[in-house]
Amino acid sequence: MKSTNKRFITCPFCSLHCDDIEVEINSNKIKVLSEPIKNCTKKIEYFNISDKSNLKPFYKNKSLNYREAIIKSRTLLDKSQDITIVNHGTDVNGVRSILNFATHHNCTVDHINSKYLFKNLGIVQRKGYMATSLTEARNRCDVFLLFGKSILKKSPRLIDKVIFPEQSLCVKPKEKKLILIGEFDKKTIDILAKNYFVRNIKIKINDIPQLMELIQSKSIGKNDNIKAISNIISESKYLVASWSSSDLDVYENADDVISSISDFILMRNKENRAACMPISGSLADATSSQTMTWLTGYPSRVKFDGSKFIHDRNICDSEFIVENNHTDIVMHISTVGLEKIKLNKKVKNIVIGHPNTTYSSKPDIFIPVGIPGIDHKSILFRTDNVVSLSLDKIRCLNLPSVKNIINDLLMVQD
Amino acid sequence: MNIKLESATVYDPINKISNLKKDIYISDGKIVNRLQIKGKINKVINCRGKIVMPGAIDMHTHIGGGKVNIARMMLGEFHNEESLDSDSTAIMAPTTIKTGIKYIKMGYTSCFEPALLPINARQAHSEMADIPFIDKGGYALLGNDDFFLELLKKNASQSAINDYVAFTLHATQCIGIKVVNPGGINAFKFNQRALDVDEKSNFYDVTPRDIIKKLTRAIYELGVPHPLHVHCSNLGIPGNFLSTIETIKAAESLPIHLTHIQFQSYGNNGDKRFSSAAPEISNYLNKTKNLTCDVGQIMFGQTVTMSGDSMSQYKNHKHAHPNKWMCMDIECDAGCGVVPFKYDNKSFVNALQWAIGLEIFLLAKDPWKVFLTTDHPNGAPFTSYPHLIKLLMNRSFRNEMFLQLPKEAQEHSILKSIKREYTLDEICIMTRSAPARILGLKNKGSLGYGCDADITIYDKKRKDYEDFFANPAIVMKNGEIIVMNGKIKKYTWGKTQTIKPEYDRSIEKSLKKFFEKYHTMKLENYKISNDEMENLIGSEIIVNKCNGKRK
Repeated sequence: MKSTNKRFITCPFCSLHCDDIEVEINSNKIKVLSEPIKNCTKKIEYFNISDKSNLKPFYKNKSLNYREAIIKSRTLLDKSQDITIVNHGTDVNGVRSILNFATHHNCTVDHINSKYLFKNLGIVQRKGYMATSLTEARNRCDVFLLFGKSILKKSPRLIDKVIFPEQSLCVKPKEKKLILIGEFDKKTIDILAKNYFVRNIKIKINDIPQLMELIQSKSIGKNDNIKAISNIISESKYLVASWSSSDLDVYENADDVISSISDFILMRNKENRAACMPISGSLADATSSQTMTWLTGYPSRVKFDGSKFIHDRNICDSEFIVENNHTDIVMHISTVGLEKIKLNKKVKNIVIGHPNTTYSSKPDIFIPVGIPGIDHKSILFRTDNVVSLSLDKIRCLNLPSVKNIINDLLMVQD
Repeated sequence: MNIKLESATVYDPINKISNLKKDIYISDGKIVNRLQIKGKINKVINCRGKIVMPGAIDMHTHIGGGKVNIARMMLGEFHNEESLDSDSTAIMAPTTIKTGIKYIKMGYTSCFEPALLPINARQAHSEMADIPFIDKGGYALLGNDDFFLELLKKNASQSAINDYVAFTLHATQCIGIKVVNPGGINAFKFNQRALDVDEKSNFYDVTPRDIIKKLTRAIYELGVPHPLHVHCSNLGIPGNFLSTIETIKAAESLPIHLTHIQFQSYGNNGDKRFSSAAPEISNYLNKTKNLTCDVGQIMFGQTVTMSGDSMSQYKNHKHAHPNKWMCMDIECDAGCGVVPFKYDNKSFVNALQWAIGLEIFLLAKDPWKVFLTTDHPNGAPFTSYPHLIKLLMNRSFRNEMFLQLPKEAQEHSILKSIKREYTLDEICIMTRSAPARILGLKNKGSLGYGCDADITIYDKKRKDYEDFFANPAIVMKNGEIIVMNGKIKKYTWGKTQTIKPEYDRSIEKSLKKFFEKYHTMKLENYKISNDEMENLIGSEIIVNKCNGKRK
C-alpha cells in the first residue's frame, strides 16, 4: 500500500454506507475530500489514531501484548458461569465469529440497539408491511414523508442520494416533494426549502397516529396546511415513508407511531403504490440482525444453550441481565461507534474496541480492534437490509479484526 | 484416501446402470477405476443389501437470501421444533446450519437457490456459505430490472443483451438465470396489478413475451447449460395454463425450463371456476422437446411462501396464515414477497393443487424432463421429499391419501385413474442424473469415473419408500463419510457452482453510467469477485464449462 494516495472508499460509519467517498490517505491518516459528507456527524477523521498508546491492549491499567491480552481474556471468560456479549457494531464475519464463540461457551448475545430494531421488526412479526429500498426510493418516489426529528442530522446524505438526487429514472427531480412530519428544527427546514419543495407539519411525535388517521379519513377540517399536504399525498404515485426508531420513545409511543405509518402505507397500496423505508441505527444494526437471523433464526437477543437458541426480548436484554446479576462478565465489541460505551462495574468487562473507543469507566481488559473497511476487508449491510457492500482495507496499523480476535480467543492455549 | 464400496446395488442412470451389483472405488474424493488406485485400499464399506445412488441434487429450493431471512425473522413463534440433531428453527424457515443437516441426512449433496437477486447476491452467497456439507449455487434474477427493460425499450441488439446476461452471471457468481413474472414485478412498481404474456407494461412498453424471447436466446447463444428458468406470468390464477403455454411458445423452440409448474397448470372450469389443467400441460411437456420443468408439489400443513413475484404475493396477502406478510420493491432490480400459508386438505383449492402436482408427475412420460421439487418452502418444506417419493412410487398409498380429500376435489381430478408407479430408476433420474445434466454439472449426479464421490447409500431393509429415502445408511460428500446411520460424523463445507460465459466487457461502460445516474452504489460494489467469494463470503467457487457460443 502506498503511503499517500487518493481513492474512493465505502464509509462504514452510518447505515447508508455511501461508496462515493473520496479520501486521501497519508501515512495512515485519512482525510475526507468528498464534499457531500461534510454534514455527516460520524466523520471518518474521528477514527484517525490520535494517541498511539490506544493501539496497545491493557489489563487493569497495565499495557500488555496482544497474546497476553488474549490469554488474560480467555482466563476471565473461562471462569465465568454466564458470558454476555454486547455487539456495538461489527461486520458480517465479526458477527459470525461472535456466534461461533457463543455456541462454544453458551453465551447470551445482544446488540446495543436491539430496542430500536425490535420496534421496526415488530410490525413484520405482527401484521402486513410494504417496504422499499434506497434506489427504488431515489428513482420512483415522488412524495417522501420523513417522520421524527433527527433523521436528517443522522443521515444527511438521504437528501442528495435518495430524496432529491440529481437524476432519477421515473420522476423528474424537480417534481419530487418532501414532507417533514414531527419536530424538525426550523433551520433544517429553511435550508432545504431554499432548493427543494419541502412542507412541514410540526407536531409532537406522539401525535403522529392521530395525524395519520386524520389524513386517511380526509376529514381534516380547517387546517389549510394539513389539507394541502393531504392533497399532495393523495396525488402521489409512489409514496415513501421513513423514520428512525431512535427518534421515538421506545417505551412509550414507538409501536403506535410505527403502526400508524405502516397502516397508512398499506391503505395507500390498495389503489396506488407506497412503501416504508425505516432508517436503522449506525452501529451496523442491519449487519447484526441479518447475520444473526440466518444463523439462529432470531435477529438479536439470543441465549445459546447447546444446540438450542433461546430468544426472549426481555430476558436476553443485556441491560436486564447485568442489572439482575444474571451474568458475571460482559464482552463488548465495538468497531464503528463513537458513543461512550456504558460499563457496569458489577461485572467484569472486556472491551474489544477500535482504538478511539471511549467508555464510562475503565474496562478490565481492552483489546484494540480494526475498523471494517478501514483496517481490513469486510461486508456490511445497508439500512434497507437488502444491499450489503464489500469494503476494502485502506490503512496498515496491523490491527486484528473481530474475527481474528474471537478465533484467537477460541484457540488459545494457556 | 482410497475407499471401496463392496457389492453395492448400483443405480446410475447417466451411465445406464440400473440395479447392477458392483464395486465402486473412491480415491481422494473422486470415483475412480480400480486400476487408477495407487497404494492400498484404506477402507472397505460392505454394501451388500444396500442401494447406491449418486448424491441427490435439489435444483430449486429457497435456501438463502433476503426473502429467506425475512421468513426466519417473521415466523419466530414457529421456531420451537423438537429436533435431536439440529436447532429448533422451523423447517419452513430453518437456519443455514439446520438446512445443511436436514439435506445431507436425506442424501442431498447439492442444492440451488433459484431466486437470487443480483443486488442481494452478496447476502445470498454469505448465507449459503454458512450451510454445511452441500455444494450450492444460484440463479440470478433478470427480466424486471430497469437496465434490462431499458435495453429492450431501446431495441438493443441481441448481442448487447447477451453481454448483459453474461456480465450478470459473472458479477453475481451464479450458474443460471431466472425470470420471475417477466416484467410483472417491475410493472407492479408502476401500479399495474396484472401483466399477461402479450400485455405491454405501461412504462417500458415491453411484453413478457419479448422478455422470454430475448433471455432464452441470450442463454442459448452464450452456451449456458441451464435453460432460462422461468416463473411464468399469472402464477396461481385459475385459467393460467393458457398463459403458461404462451410462455413456452415465447421461447421459439429454444430450451426453456418452467419452474413450479403445478402453480401454472390451473384451469377455470366447474362451479368453483378452478380445475386441473395438468393433462393439457403434461401433453405439452411430452410433445415439446425444448421444455423441462420442476413441479413444486404442495403438501398439507403450515408453510411460508416466498417469491420474487411481489405482484402476485401482494395479491396473495389476504390468504396469509398467520395474518402477517411482507412485500418489498428492491433496488430497480426486482422485488420480493413473503406470505405464510397453510395448505388445508379440507379446502377444495388446496386439495386440487395437491392432486394437480401429482397428475403432472405421473402424466409426464420422460423423467429426464420433470424434476422433483416442492419449491421449498412454497409448496412444502424440502423434508417432505421422501413422502412425495412414496406418493409417486406406491399407487395404493397415493389413492388412500387421495380418498381423504373433499369429494368435490376428487371429482375434479383424474389422479385415481392413473396407474403409473415411479421406479427407483426414475426417481434416481429426476433427483440426480437429470438435474446434474440440465445444470451442466459434469462431475455430479453420476457414479462415473472422475465424478465427485457424492454418494448416498440406502438400506434395502427399509421397505417403505418414505422410510427408505428419509434415512440413508451412509451419505458421502467428496469421498468422506458425513452421515452414518442417521448421525453426522463430520462437518465439511461445500463449494459454490458457477458459470462464466465470455462476453464483451464494453457493456460495463453503459452499466457504469446507469449506476452513476440512478443507483445508490457503484457498479464496482455490485460485482462479487472470486477473491471475495473465497476470503470474505467464505465459499470457494467451481467454474463449470459453457457449451460454447452458439448462434
